[in-house]
Parts: sequence; C-alpha cells; structure tokens
Amino acid sequence: MTTFLTYTVLGLVLGAVYSIAASGLVLTYNTSGIFNFAHGAQAMFGTFLYWHFTQVWNWPTWLGLIAVIGVAGPVMGAALHALIMKGLRGTADVTKIIVTVAVLLGTVYLAQWIWNPDEARTIDMFFGAGAKVTLAGVTVRYHEIVCLVAAVAIAALLRVLFTRSRAGVVMRGSVDDPDLLRLNGHDPERAAMLSWALGSTLAVLAGVLVVPISGGAMDANMLTLLVIDAFAAAMFGRLRSLPRTFAGAMVLGLTVTYVLAYLPSAGTFTGNLRVSLPMIILFVVLVVLPQDRLRGAAVRTRERYRVPSVRSAAVWGAVLIAVVYLYSLLLPDAGVTAFALGMTFAIVALSLTVLTGYAGELNLAPLSFGAIGTIVAFHFGVTGEGLAARLNVQGVLLGVLVAAVVGGLVALPALRLRGLYLALATMAFGVFLSNMVLRDTTEHEWFGQRFTIFPDGSLVIPPLKAGPLDLRDGTAFLMTATVLFALLGIGLAALRNSGYGRRLAAMKDSPAATAMLGQSLVRLKLSVFMISAGIAGLGGVLMSSAHGTVSQETFTITGSLALLMLVVVAGIGYISGALFGGLIAGVGSAVLVSTFNDLALEHESMSSLYTAVGQLVLVGTALVGMGVGRNPSGFVHDVAEAYRSLRAAKPVLYGGGAAGAVLYVLALTDVIGTWTFAIAALCVLMLLPVIGKSVLEEKGRRETPLELLGIDEPYTDELRARLDRELGLPATVRKGGAGVPA
Amino acid sequence: MSLLETRGITVRFGGNTAVDDVSLTMAEGEITGLIGPNGAGKTTMFNTVTGLQRPASGRVLLDGTDITSLSPAKRARRGMARTFQRLELFLSLSVRDNVRVAGDVLRATARKRFDLDEETDRILERTGLTDIAGRDVSDVPIGRARVVEVARALMTSPRVLLLDEPASGQTEQETERFAEMLKGLAGDGLAICLVEHDLPLVMGLCSRIHVLDYGSLIASGTPQEIQESPEVIAAYIGTEEAT
Repeated sequence: MTTFLTYTVLGLVLGAVYSIAASGLVLTYNTSGIFNFAHGAQAMFGTFLYWHFTQVWNWPTWLGLIAVIGVAGPVMGAALHALIMKGLRGTADVTKIIVTVAVLLGTVYLAQWIWNPDEARTIDMFFGAGAKVTLAGVTVRYHEIVCLVAAVAIAALLRVLFTRSRAGVVMRGSVDDPDLLRLNGHDPERAAMLSWALGSTLAVLAGVLVVPISGGAMDANMLTLLVIDAFAAAMFGRLRSLPRTFAGAMVLGLTVTYVLAYLPSAGTFTGNLRVSLPMIILFVVLVVLPQDRLRGAAVRTRERYRVPSVRSAAVWGAVLIAVVYLYSLLLPDAGVTAFALGMTFAIVALSLTVLTGYAGELNLAPLSFGAIGTIVAFHFGVTGEGLAARLNVQGVLLGVLVAAVVGGLVALPALRLRGLYLALATMAFGVFLSNMVLRDTTEHEWFGQRFTIFPDGSLVIPPLKAGPLDLRDGTAFLMTATVLFALLGIGLAALRNSGYGRRLAAMKDSPAATAMLGQSLVRLKLSVFMISAGIAGLGGVLMSSAHGTVSQETFTITGSLALLMLVVVAGIGYISGALFGGLIAGVGSAVLVSTFNDLALEHESMSSLYTAVGQLVLVGTALVGMGVGRNPSGFVHDVAEAYRSLRAAKPVLYGGGAAGAVLYVLALTDVIGTWTFAIAALCVLMLLPVIGKSVLEEKGRRETPLELLGIDEPYTDELRARLDRELGLPATVRKGGAGVPA
Repeated sequence: MSLLETRGITVRFGGNTAVDDVSLTMAEGEITGLIGPNGAGKTTMFNTVTGLQRPASGRVLLDGTDITSLSPAKRARRGMARTFQRLELFLSLSVRDNVRVAGDVLRATARKRFDLDEETDRILERTGLTDIAGRDVSDVPIGRARVVEVARALMTSPRVLLLDEPASGQTEQETERFAEMLKGLAGDGLAICLVEHDLPLVMGLCSRIHVLDYGSLIASGTPQEIQESPEVIAAYIGTEEAT
C-alpha cells in the first residue's frame, strides 16, 4: 500500500509538471491560433540557461530562478511573438507549423552550439534531494511539493485570468476575431504577445522542474520532446479546455509512473516504453476524440503555386538528368557519393510535395517512413554476404509497400480531425519509432520465426542491384537516383493534372466545399498519405543504401523536421522545391559544416572562428525557416516567376546559357575549381532575372493612361476585379493583399 | 410532393438557440425562398440540411428517407448541392477546373461514366461562364464568382440545390440573367432553395417562402401571403412594442 501511495505521489508530481507545460501550450494556441512546436525547445533553452546561471556562474538558486522564469522566459516569448509569430496571420496552417518547427530547430542548434552536447550536466532538486517529509509512511521531497503547489497555483491563476480579468477575455477573443477586438478598442497583438510571454514562461518553469524528478541529467532532446508529453495532456481538453488539460496531465503522469513501477523491468523494453507512453496515449485519445466540424477556408491564405504540365515536367526532368550527369563529371568520388545521398533525400522530399504541396496535409516524420522501408528491405531484400551483398528490387518494393501501409495505419486515427492532429500524430509516431523500434536490439519470436529488428543498433544496407544495373558504382547510383527523382516528378505532375490531383487541390482549398461535392475527405486523405509514405519509404531505402550503415541517429525527428523545413523554404508546392530542399538537407548543410570543421582542423589559430561559422550555418538555416511566413510560397516560386518574365528577353537567356557553358568548359579543363564553378554558376542563375529586368524596362516604356489623352476607358471585368481587390472583397484577396477575410 | 423536408430542427451553440424547432419543405421543380433578418438562422439551417452542422434535435428527410445522421459527402451523393455565403471556391484552380472537379468527384465516387469535358462545357455554357473559363478563379469578380459556385454545384447533377445569398455582389443585369437561369433549372425538375436579401428577386422567383426570425419560423406561404403577414412586417420593420 505504501509503495502504491509513493508511486501515486510520484505520478501526481510528474502530472503536475506536464500540466504546467501543457497549459502554456493551450494558452498560446488559443490566443494566437499557432500551435507552438517549439514549446519544448523553449523549455530546454530556459533550463540550460538556469543550469548555466547556477552551476557555471554560481548564482544562488533564487536568483537563477528569477533570471530564467522572471526574465528569460517572458522575453523569449515576447520576442518570438514580435519578431516572428505576429507576421503569420493569413498564412496556411502548414506555414504556421513550419515556422514553429524552424524555431524548434534553431533553438536546438543554438543550444548545442553554446552547450556541448557531449558533456554531462545535472540539475539538483530545490532544497536538495535530502529535504523531505514523511506523511503516512510516504516520503515526499520538498521539490515534489514545489511541483504540486506550482501546478495548482498556475491552474488557479489561469482560471482567474481567463474568466475574471479583462486581459484574459481579450486574449480569448484575439484568435477568433482580431478585427472585432480592434474595433472595440483592444489591441489583439498585445494580448497575443502577453500570452506568448506567459506560455514561454510556463515552458521554462516546467523544464526546470522536470529535470530533477526524471533523474537530474539534462538531455536536450528529452526536454525538447516535452512538447509531445504536453500535447498528449492537452489533447484531453481538445487543445481548448484548461481544466481538462490539467486532468489529462494527471492521468498521463500517473499512467507513466505506474507502468514504470509495475511492469516487469525487462531491461530496455520497459525503459523504452516509458519514453513512448505519452505518444501511445496520444494515439488512443486521437481515436476517441469526436470528429471536428468541417470548416471552409475561413482565411484566404497567401500561398500560391503554379502547376506544371506533364510535358514541361518531362522536359525539365531530362534537363535535370543531363545537368546532374555533366556536373558529376566535375566531382571527385566522395562528391559524387554525397550528391547521390542528397538526391535520395530529394526523393523523400517528393513525398512532402504530394502530401503538403498538393493536398495540404502534413507529415512531420518523413524519415521515419524511410526507416520502415529500410528495415523491411534489410530483412527481406538483401542477398549475398559482405562486399558481395546486394539489395534486390523485390526487397525495395516490399519496403515501399509496407511503408505505405504503416503510413495508412498511423494516419487513420487522425484523418477525421484537423490537419494539426495529423501533424502531431506523425511526430509522435516518429519519436515512438526511434524510441521503441530503432532501439530494439533484442531478439523476438513471432510465428516461430526468430528475428531482431535492429541487430547491434545499426543496419548495413548494401547497394541495389537490378539486373545488369549495379549501384556499387557511385555515378551509377547518382544517376539512378536522379532518373528515379525525375520519373517520380513527372508522375507527380501527371497526378496533379489528373482528376485525383484536382480533388486534392479542392480539399486543400476548402474541405467543406469538397465534402459538399460528395467527396469523402477521410478516404482522399488516406490515399494521399499512403502514396506519400510509399515515396518516403522508397527514398528512405535508397538513402540508407547511400549511407551504407544506418542507425537510430539516421532517422531522428530533428532530421525529419529539418528536411521538411528546408523543402517548405524552397517551395513545398513545387517539384523543384523538393529537389533543392532535399539536396540542401542531404548534403548542403552537412558539406558546409564539415568543410568549416576541416578548415578549423587545418588552421588551428582560426579554429574557433571556423567552428563558429559552421554552427552559424545550422542556426542560419533555421532562421531562414522562421522567415518562411514572409514568403510562404518558397524561393523556387520567386525564381520561377522571375524567369517567367524573362521570356520576353531572349538575348539575356541565351547570354546566360553561353556563360554557363563557358564556365562548365573551364571547370572541365581544370582551369577553375569545382567550387568556383558551382558558385559562379549559381551567381549567373540568380543574376539573369535582374539583368533581364533592366533590359525589359528599357525596351517597354510605360504607356500613357487613356484618360489622360481624353479618351474614356471602357469599364472591363479586369478593372472591376481590380476594384474588388482594392476594396478587399472576397474571392479576390491575393498574395500580398490585405488579409481581410471574406 | 416534397423532396426535402426538415422536421423540428433545433440547433444550439452553447446556450444560444440559433434555430428553434423549424420544419420546412421543398418540392421538386419549385423555387423556395428562405428569408429573414441577419442572424435569423438561415445559414445555420442550410448547414444543418447539408450535414455541416449537427442539430440538437429534429430530422432531415430527403425523398422520404431520414438522412439526419449522414455525412455531408453522403448527402451530396444523394443529390444535395449548395453554394456558400462566404465563397468557398477552390482558389488554386481555374474557373473551368472548379467546375470540372465536381465531375471528377462524381466519376470517382459514383463510378459514373460520362464525358467530363463535354459535361463541363455544357454547364459552363448554361451558366454563362464560357468566356472566363480559363481564368484563375481568384481574379473573377465577386458577382460572377457566385455563379461559378452555382455551376460547380450543378456539375454534381443534384436534385436539391441550396443557394446562400447567390445574388449579393451581382450587378442588376447579372441578377436578371441569374433569375432566368434559376427558372430554367427549376423547369428541369430541380428543387431550389434560396436564401436571399434581395426581396424583389425572392418575391419574383419563389413559389413558396419561409420566414425565419430569431431562429423560429414565423411564416410560410406564397409571396402574396408573406407580404401581407403581420408577423413578417413586424420582424422586418419592427413594431411599437419591439422598439
């Protein structure tokens, strides 16, 4: 009985911390409409700051607490709102999610830069681990009492804030109708900023409290993923109700503690289960939740994508294959291998193009479906031993199939709900997979078959061999991956131009109107998610094969998030967006960072500078991701638009082509280096539209308006549409227009 | 013979009763009007009939079958179509594709075989949209955008068509053409229900009119009866006691 009581107290304490984290999440979501994926990362950053203040600078505990909870937390939240989140009104849910994901990544990179992740750090309990009281045979530490008291106090405070105070009521209104609030003389932005500051503070507090009760060791990853635990708790209240969130947090805390206490401690399994439990609970809650009301596109979003015809996709596919081949001639063997790896990432990225770009749904763990494909291919598709080992086509196809089926199973519970829930379900799945499956090195027996999912914690994936085509050769691998990418790209263009593609676009634009045409949304989402997971599976198998050896670290959620973010930055609606996003995720940042590291090794005096630059590249990519709210269509869109206007300036295009050819010949004959070529070619690519514009401006002088010549201009539909647009009338608000809802 | 019928529909949002015990009928080949001041519950009624909103109580019957528990998609497949007061066009598609996608859905769900392009052209022709078929739907002026919604709804070959303020934003000529088109559609046997603030249009088009006020049905009848009903006059103009 005493044991049970002890575990109950421990469970309640854990629940208390979850409730603090979860109420912060619910708070920001309900006042700004943005689900903050970086919530856990903020907790992590604040906790590391606290450690730094108290352990490195030896500040007393109280001063450290005031510094992080009273200053760092609110400042972090307010700054996030002012610099980033404020600009997200009128963007699609996808963009909002990606921006917070970018904040998450940026915070993690920054923390790893400041605090070397290889060093161990601990935080002690408040008043020390020895300070405790014994009640009815149950020992309770002071720290645990602090957790409980803090949680109850915060719950009570938030309740009063929301129901009694003017600021709280304004906060509640600011997501539903900011314009109405403004008309009534309130400032919705101030309310939103206040809630971000408060939410961030709660995150930091939860972080500082949770580390000592979960062992004391600071693990940046674990703290960052606190957002998932908090989310599981918030789900009980459907992300709206604070009291139910509080109850959910307690249920979660107790379940986790009881499981840990009463399940046979069969080594790693229970430990892994403990970490994965919030995600399992999350899935259960998802299944039980009632269906959302169907909604229309209440806010006209700013994202715009052009759809290529199949013919132009085929032409560009051929161009891509030719360019990649020519460029591969310039590269050393290691470069070709890295390039091939990048191309496999681009294939995984295509899975995001179809899912997010075409259908408007999200998958935050594309690499996890790649991992599924890899595991299946490893167990069923490898023939031969050692260096002679090869992957066969059947294995790859089976991997794709299983990835698609698993994708369907993961997505199914969340499909009845809003897109955000699907995003969270995939993230939870990604974390679950890396905790439970990819760490599973024990032997299982199923149906009389003995097998180990992940022997030794890593898998050796040999190159693919299909008939006469052997991909051990780097160039063969690169070209095969490129051809596959091109074929998939053409396939996706065909898909988008088909009736199926139009239905996807319709669903993305207005779920309610699509349902009213007789389309079952669940079925459509399920099918597109399975297609997407299959493509991710294919890309994942190839990626693993390009790596050679893969482990849990290959498929982390951070890797998935970084890939997704880069694809969105490049242009999620475009096949070329997948290409650039994938290449940058796969090779770009890795090459850049390792280059700087190599430089640091070579020039020791400058080493700190070069390491810093390398880290800066990582943080920089995340910063670019945070800016996606300004340009939600992606940079590929801008480049394409710029080139579209160049059509009238043929000489400029020819000149650019000639310059490119000259550069290439110079590089081929070793007159200039590969890097020089790459940079110069990029410069030509970027400068052409600028040059073209100036040429075009000289050519076409501006016409004098007709009315100035004394002629009445006929009133056309175009002019009427423009007038509608200026007035902000519905159906006509376009990119960059005032975000006036219809 | 009524094709669509609601019996005692009540909808509540929290403590507010948006629609209170409303029973209406719509008949084949007839244009029915649903009018009332702002906030009377007209759009909520449409949402309930099409399945976007669950009623607290009451039933919806289509052709004598209870469809209250069916999803919007299933109702649409049984012949229900609507337009939206706040336009819900597919902004990434052209005008033509906005209409065509309805046929895509029909082909995929009903396994119906027909010439999609021909049917799309026919609908565009009938609704007078052929001249702007290739345009981005976001560039279409609001009055014609409403017609695009009607064309899209027609593409599902519906039996019941619910139009939520289709004439708002239209010019006078557009409204005239629109009224002619609706008459033609009703002549083909379509049951049309119109929520509209343009009273002359409603009075001229509809053979039966239902009037909602504060969620309750206060009058039903022919245009003549409605114009003479004291309750309707009170609701629209206000009475001594109300002011």
